[in-house]
Amino acid sequence: MSRQYNPAVSAYKRMDLDSLPEDKMPEKDNSKGLLSRATKSSKDNTGLDYSNPLVRVAKQMQIIRKYRDDINGSK
Amino acid sequence: MEVSNEISFDAPIPGMSLTAELGGRPWQNKPKYSTVDETIDYYMERMSSEEFMVQLADILESGVPVTTLANTIQMASVMDGIHTIDVGMLVLPMLMEMMMMIGDSAGIEYDKGLEDPKKGEIRDSLFAKLINKYEKKVKSVDLDSVSEEVIEETNKEEVKKPSGLMARRT
Repeated sequence: MSRQYNPAVSAYKRMDLDSLPEDKMPEKDNSKGLLSRATKSSKDNTGLDYSNPLVRVAKQMQIIRKYRDDINGSK
Repeated sequence: MEVSNEISFDAPIPGMSLTAELGGRPWQNKPKYSTVDETIDYYMERMSSEEFMVQLADILESGVPVTTLANTIQMASVMDGIHTIDVGMLVLPMLMEMMMMIGDSAGIEYDKGLEDPKKGEIRDSLFAKLINKYEKKVKSVDLDSVSEEVIEETNKEEVKKPSGLMARRT
């Protein structure tokens, strides 16, 4: 099998999933007053910008990685 | 940068892009899925089918690297006009992770394709260079004179007797 330049190699290696913050349960917003925030910010409490497609891909990958780790029993 | 002088036969021939009407190819039209999320959903659905999983397991078992397979699938989707090439590039790592998960769950020993297989391998050209160098060195040496010198040296060593305090007295 020929191994010419494959963008998948660099794309995968650059995905630093270990430094990606874990998801936390969203805090319940009890305020229902007129001054409570009506719209949600695109950034969550971990500081990740979900409007960035790469972040969303990384999050998906993180979930799949967790499943893989469960299968392999490494974590 | 080193430029290869070899002629590449894989390259498109001049004017090849003009052999069809503009917009006549799927990748020249609006893609079916324009966002990363839609594309991920598309792949997730496709890869969740049992038929795909079985086929993937067989291919991985036959030794095809995950990187090659993921790139091929992504490229095929671009050519079919399912998503754009930049969305494909973004989705590539997720595709690989998914494939590796399928491989892990099937208990297959697969090649990720992340390591260079030729890394650390000694090139044939280097071997040939060393052999050539050695042959030249051997030819330049006068073997007759060397053999005489060696015989003389060995005779001298034989004559030398141990003379230390602990040497055996005969």
